[in-house]
Amino acid sequence: MPAVKVKRNSPAMDMTAMCDVAFLLLTFFILTAQFKSQDVAEIETPHSISAIPVPDKDIMVIAIDKGGKVYFGVDNQVTRIALLDAIATTEGLKFNDSERKAFSLQSNFGIPMRNLNAFLSLPPDKMKEVKQPGIPTDSTAQNELAKWIYQARLVTQNKIRIAIKGDNISKFPVFKNVMSSLQAQDINKFNLITGSEAPPAGWVADK
Amino acid sequence: MSEIAQGGGGNEKGGKVRAKKASTRIDMTPMVDLGFLLITFFILATTLSKPKSMQVVIPAKPKIEDVLPPPLKASKVLTLFLGKDNIVYGLDRIAADDDKAKTDLKKVSFGPDLRTLIFQSAAQVDTQWGKDEKGNSQFVCVIKPMANSTYRNVVDILDEMPITKTKRYALVDVLTPTEKALLGDKANN
Repeated sequence: MPAVKVKRNSPAMDMTAMCDVAFLLLTFFILTAQFKSQDVAEIETPHSISAIPVPDKDIMVIAIDKGGKVYFGVDNQVTRIALLDAIATTEGLKFNDSERKAFSLQSNFGIPMRNLNAFLSLPPDKMKEVKQPGIPTDSTAQNELAKWIYQARLVTQNKIRIAIKGDNISKFPVFKNVMSSLQAQDINKFNLITGSEAPPAGWVADK
Repeated sequence: MSEIAQGGGGNEKGGKVRAKKASTRIDMTPMVDLGFLLITFFILATTLSKPKSMQVVIPAKPKIEDVLPPPLKASKVLTLFLGKDNIVYGLDRIAADDDKAKTDLKKVSFGPDLRTLIFQSAAQVDTQWGKDEKGNSQFVCVIKPMANSTYRNVVDILDEMPITKTKRYALVDVLTPTEKALLGDKANN
């Protein structure tokens, strides 16, 4: 009579359930993914108690970085190309197809118009290394930001919304220049992009 | 690591050679690995906290033919000057050309101090002037950021307005000559 053998459990585990969970989570993350946009400058926004979400589409973002450089960006690739064409005709510039394609891939940029050709013809990996000088905003004749805003509103039939995303430590005069560029075009309503923070204890929102 | 099908196939003594039955179990380990790898990627590549926005309405550019509105009574106004190093100078219900302005210019920092100043000033205006015809407070807050303040200061103070329930406020970026004289070098460096 043979001795009773202890039944050994197989070390292999049933992975089906784990696999199910993994792919369920994966599906969730794919569907809810909002990719971080590849912005030129790192911007740390201040916080506010405001709870209005930033719209996803039809939006132009004017970014102000730490050093007070101004960057401009619109959200839609089709709009970007239309915008570049509009700027080309009004400013007497010429862009070829590859430059237009390159421009449509820029989520935002801080290049003065006269350097735009040279910048857009660079290969993508070189483009990232370029130190962008920011869009001129100061004097009224060379206020390129105002031109970009104006043309972006024209090509979208004024459906575009305007948001300003400023860095914590950027100085007020830069923001003032951006504001006066907007005000000069009778845009008196715009959004400031901020992080969210909790309102102070006991604070109740207005009805 | 896939399990070996038990008793499948093999040469049994004297029996017929049977077709080897493949196991229906698949080893899922690499699939799970891949799944979690992709999850990790998507977690890292997404922004979970969506940024919020606050709406700002600035006064329209005055047209030449516009009639200027009557000036505000200084006793209804709290003027806040944003200065260097997150300091706020508050002029509480006094005009800048008043004799007492120099001594009454309050210096506060962001946070509870500023909030108390706004609340106090609003309460004083309410007791002195009462509500207007529409039942609103007549308190007005004028915000004047100076050249050495930061964008953060501006957002913070605009945020302070809904917190203190100040309905009437204005963001003004020019200092009058008397205000310049009052603030002196605080406005420039």
